[in-house]
Amino acid sequence: MDIECSRLLPSVCAVLVDPKQFVADDTCLEKLLDWFKTVTEAESSLLVLQENPCLTELLFHVVKLQDVNSNILSFTLRLAGIFAAHENSFQYLQQGEVLLSLFSEAGPLSRPAWEDPSVRSGWIQGVGSMVQHERAVQFLCDCGAIDVIFSLQGDPSLFVASTASQLLVHILGFTMHSRRAVPLTTQDCDWPVCARMIVGHIEESLRSGTVPQITQALNVLTTLFGRCHESWTEVLWMRMNPFVGSLLEKEPLLAAHSLVDLFLSMARSPVFSHLECDLWILSTRALNRLSPTQSGPLALGILNLKDCPQTLRTKAFNILLQPLACVLQAASQPTGSPGLLDESLNDSVITDILLSSKSSCAGLLCQTLAHLEELQPMSHLLIDWPHVPLLSAVMTILRFCSGLATPASSVGDRLCGILIGCFRVQRSALDFLGTLSQGPSPSELIRGVVEILLVYLKSPDSSPTVLKKAFQATLKWLLSLSKTSTSSDLCPQTQHFLRDLFPILQKRLCSPCWEVRDSALEFLTQLTKHWGGRAGFRQALLSSEVPELAEDLLRDPESYVRASAVTAMGQLSSRGLCSNPIGTGSKNDEKKSLFLELLEILSTDSEGFPRRAVIQVFTEWLREGHTDVSKDKEQFVTKVLQVVSCDLDWEVRVQGLELALVFLVQTLGQHETECPYAVEMSSVTQSTQLTESLQMLCHMKLFDFIFSALCDCDRPVARKSCDILLYLKAKLAHHGSLQGSGEACTESLGTQNTAWLETTLRKWKARDQGQPSEVADRGDCQEPDDVLEVLRSVDLEGLRGTLAKSSDHIEKSPQSLLQDMLATVGILEENEADCY
Amino acid sequence: MPEIKVTPLGAGQDVGRSCILVSIAGKNVMLDCGMHMGYNDDRRFPDFSYITQNGRLTDFLDCVIISHFHLDHCGALPYFSEMVGYDGPIYMTHPTKAICPILLEDYRKITVDKKGETNFFTSQMIKDCMKKVVAVHLHQTVQVDDELEIKAYYAGHVLGAAMFQIKVGSESAVYTGDYNMTPDRHLGAAWIDKCRPNLLITESTYATTIRDSKRCRERDFLKKVHETVERGGKVLIPVFALGRAQELCILLETFWERMNLKAPIYFSTGLTEKANHYYKLFITWTNQKIRKTFVQRNMFEFKHIKAFDRAFADNPGPMVVFATPGMLHAGQSLQIFRKWAGNEKNMVIMPGYCVQGTVGHKILSGQRKLEMEGRQILEVKMQVEYMSFSAHADAKGIMQLVRQAEPDNVLLVHGEAKKMEFLKQKIEQEFHVNCYMPANGETVTLLTHPNIPVGISLGLLKREMALGLLPDAKRPKLMHGTLIMKDNNFRLVSSEQALKELGLAEHQLRFTCRVHIHDTRKEQETVLRVYSHLKSVLKAHSVQHLPDGSVMVESILIQATAHSEDPGTKVLLVSWTYQDEELGSYLTSLLKKGLPQAPS
Repeated sequence: MDIECSRLLPSVCAVLVDPKQFVADDTCLEKLLDWFKTVTEAESSLLVLQENPCLTELLFHVVKLQDVNSNILSFTLRLAGIFAAHENSFQYLQQGEVLLSLFSEAGPLSRPAWEDPSVRSGWIQGVGSMVQHERAVQFLCDCGAIDVIFSLQGDPSLFVASTASQLLVHILGFTMHSRRAVPLTTQDCDWPVCARMIVGHIEESLRSGTVPQITQALNVLTTLFGRCHESWTEVLWMRMNPFVGSLLEKEPLLAAHSLVDLFLSMARSPVFSHLECDLWILSTRALNRLSPTQSGPLALGILNLKDCPQTLRTKAFNILLQPLACVLQAASQPTGSPGLLDESLNDSVITDILLSSKSSCAGLLCQTLAHLEELQPMSHLLIDWPHVPLLSAVMTILRFCSGLATPASSVGDRLCGILIGCFRVQRSALDFLGTLSQGPSPSELIRGVVEILLVYLKSPDSSPTVLKKAFQATLKWLLSLSKTSTSSDLCPQTQHFLRDLFPILQKRLCSPCWEVRDSALEFLTQLTKHWGGRAGFRQALLSSEVPELAEDLLRDPESYVRASAVTAMGQLSSRGLCSNPIGTGSKNDEKKSLFLELLEILSTDSEGFPRRAVIQVFTEWLREGHTDVSKDKEQFVTKVLQVVSCDLDWEVRVQGLELALVFLVQTLGQHETECPYAVEMSSVTQSTQLTESLQMLCHMKLFDFIFSALCDCDRPVARKSCDILLYLKAKLAHHGSLQGSGEACTESLGTQNTAWLETTLRKWKARDQGQPSEVADRGDCQEPDDVLEVLRSVDLEGLRGTLAKSSDHIEKSPQSLLQDMLATVGILEENEADCY
Repeated sequence: MPEIKVTPLGAGQDVGRSCILVSIAGKNVMLDCGMHMGYNDDRRFPDFSYITQNGRLTDFLDCVIISHFHLDHCGALPYFSEMVGYDGPIYMTHPTKAICPILLEDYRKITVDKKGETNFFTSQMIKDCMKKVVAVHLHQTVQVDDELEIKAYYAGHVLGAAMFQIKVGSESAVYTGDYNMTPDRHLGAAWIDKCRPNLLITESTYATTIRDSKRCRERDFLKKVHETVERGGKVLIPVFALGRAQELCILLETFWERMNLKAPIYFSTGLTEKANHYYKLFITWTNQKIRKTFVQRNMFEFKHIKAFDRAFADNPGPMVVFATPGMLHAGQSLQIFRKWAGNEKNMVIMPGYCVQGTVGHKILSGQRKLEMEGRQILEVKMQVEYMSFSAHADAKGIMQLVRQAEPDNVLLVHGEAKKMEFLKQKIEQEFHVNCYMPANGETVTLLTHPNIPVGISLGLLKREMALGLLPDAKRPKLMHGTLIMKDNNFRLVSSEQALKELGLAEHQLRFTCRVHIHDTRKEQETVLRVYSHLKSVLKAHSVQHLPDGSVMVESILIQATAHSEDPGTKVLLVSWTYQDEELGSYLTSLLKKGLPQAPS
């Protein structure tokens, strides 16, 4: 702890214990605790206590105060816990029995303040911090704290109850870990006292027959088996097994979700993952007993395991497939396609759920689809992943939802009535359909997929969220189709799809809903990115009005759409797929017109998103050597930076610097590498080239932009500028250009800050303004020497270190926190309840 | 038993990140999804892991509702939908949907600018999140699914702020978000109809305060700015991009116009234009005065307020600058503050709350020597003023809203425990309803008594009317019939119709009882004695002597037989249907007492 903090601490403690004073901002107390935690971890906590007696006094004082503010009491409990975590501090505090007064039943438990959940939370967190050594555990057992923790498991506050359960796990784990050497049996006498108490409590809870208690006990076991993988947990399970097993026999089944969590937590533990473990029997029994919505997560968890008995996996997989099998069966004609499951379905329960109400039907289907979607990437591990029937099932669901299906059975009829227009199921089904693009699908089914996707993309009833998913699924299918085709161009099926797709895309680009226009543009960008070079795609695109419509959207009233249109147009232009503006002449002019249009957006758009998109497109064009940009790179960069330098959005300025960096690298070459085999040019040639390059860069006013960015009030801009200048410095130093000519230069080497730079920049400006107008017009505001002087003088390395810190690192320091707490007392009371 | 459960994850006994979970008739709704600006780590967002311990969030939550665009109500939304993984519907009003992304973007930029934080939502995430939002109109009933519906009411407070009614069947709750019961310069007062919800969840920021009028504060603000400018000083007003900035711009613009002032006013972010665009677009959400004057002069087109350039900060002479961010913790506002802090002629006006750890918080708490980078000390000589313009309902306003909505229960959020306690007692005393104030993480469970609508068949109604029971709206009436449940609906129909609809055959259940009486006469005579006895006793009922020798009272049948072993005893066989069970029992007890002596 630094001296200044030590000096401030007594006053802060005095404020905290003074009931007349008021600490307005409870975040201060939280941050103060964060700091104490750091301090006690970094140095001896006992020394901190001894050197700052105000801390112990604070604890004593709060213990004695009868009418203490609950926030302060809670803070004190947590503070005591942080110090008591270290054995010597624990003993130190115990000498005065302060811990007993805080954590035993005679402490806050008996006070009215205990009614406040923040106090109970403070108590339990304090205890939690403390349990780092055996003495603390012994202390908790002796003072009755363990029983308090048991009772807090049922606390009305979720936060307290959950922390209490986690604390029991921590204490049990800690106690057993320290007894590792002693062999263990299920006999009670073998277990340490504290562990015996906890295990006894869990057993009692499991026997209780009341749902909250059973849930608490199961949650403790779940967390324990999840966190602790030591061998004693197996002995513990031997004790728990009969109780848990009997829960599975109960009618109705209690705490089903918690049972699922327990089995999955155990299944993931290496202690229980061997194939002889009775866990698998229980899991199988659970799969039989649980309702379809409850068994889904268990089945998914089992299938995600690396090792488990094959019969269980098969059962789990069948459970996941059942709802979809039911849908397929409901839809199928008597002589229809094969179902999802070979075995005869005992589907009455599932049918009941699917037909009982819209929400239960949607709930079960969405859950199943999401689970299968999660499994799909592992489908190669599942021997019998029924790709084709699953595809049929999801398409059936999508047909039901859109009212396209003509089910043959009465169940299908009713299902269709329930699902029609259900956006929730449509979204899940489209997500899963997209995922199924990864797999071998027969061509007649692909035709079906294409048809259904077109239906959704075309449907006027599709909501924007459904349309977005439809676009995403379409993209996945299109890309997978191109992967399977062997030729370099698109297969006829895809060509056909595209022919149908573009008119729909045109319509969607004109949607009155901005979300739809935006999703359509994003889709176009992605498709162009992947297929921009394929003749079939180019032909289909250019024969549609899509490029013109996309260009029109550059003037969309919604900024998000303008930004997406910019990105799309940037991509189209890169691939030479730009539209022909009406009434323009040569191709050359067309490209220029897009550049000017984007430049216009960059300089005038009132919002950041489109401007950011433009500068990103420009950077990309420069990076990839867009033909039109390459013609006159200098002019392109100069024009863009001229606009960017005035931008109010710092992200645009940062991206502008990125563009400058790309240009610099293209002009001066990559960062220096120490490649021994590199062909070196003669130093004279290089030096001449560098001087010429510098002249050119000065002429472009590139350094104006970079230097003023170094003084920018927005940290990321200054940081980026600093990085560029360091690159330049390294580049120039390598070739000796930075070696000063006089003594004065070496003296000021790397010592100046940005204030000096600002003054220098102002000086240059004044100098330029004083020059004859023709010189100023030429733009020679700086000479290479000026640039070299800046690079020589400014302490760029130091600056980089400063800029790497957060801009509020001083305000965030502990010293600042303590000062704020002292300054705030009584003053901010009036403002405390204000909000943003 | 049907119940409503409420668990605040934020705003329970505090004014932090609002996030309240409501479970009503099996539907789960999240009300607001705010962030706490006082933290830079995970603690800034509500702990969403408590929403559901089992299963996916999207399966558990039926929808998220955002009351208004302030970050303590919507700041965690992109994190929740794009990083935590909620993929369901989100509802907010049209203006909130338009303005929300601006503020989220503004905050994202400040956060990234300040620390270069990487574990924060991106611009793309904000957009993707906003694309999931369904915008709603005021008083439009939106069907979230077949059972759950929501409806927005005007809340004042800020542009687009709304209170939301959530309804499942006959059970409902209203969440106020932040609201203001008195109209201000550009917004109207909150209003809700007498919707009598089971529960009203109301904010209670000013639970114990009766606030002075906002006009006083505005006058004070103008006076201070004017005085500073008059003496040649510069005024810095740190603001967030949208909200208070526009309010104050209107104030200054009007004042400058009226006083014919010349000192320049600048706005440092490029966002004014967009913000003003929205105020114009949603003119119907502003108050009547603004709407009326809009025809003559658009209040959001500023003549005096111009865009700021960094170089202007060094210009000599007076000026007023609105700069972001609002707490002086990064960027432009902090840079200008550093330049101007040393001059006592200048002034900084903080128009909103500042969290600890910002320069704004420091100067508001009276600190005048601030440590800057490199151990430099910045001496603050400029004047520092705090002015709260936040528009919340005060104690009077909250009571007024409760009176207006007539809820069965009230639950207080978004306030401090002590103040809530006071208001709670007041509400309970005045309205005789239960009032709750759960802390974060605490669940309040309310039992409800939902009305279950039952359809009545026309046939049954006609039959009742034929009996002379004409329907009367003011008087509840007892109806008899068979209640059947079909296609998830309840219907009361005649028993014949029920049998027909359910395809069941009718069976009659009769209760029988044997009563032994001593009578030496023949059976027919005994029956006659029974007949005349009952006729005299049960005058109100129809008592018949049937040709087959039995007696019938309503549906009750009485026959007499001789006792097989004792000819002096007659056995009366009484049988009745369940409809006449009462009469049947009475009759049996009557007969058991014996027959009156026959006149000799």
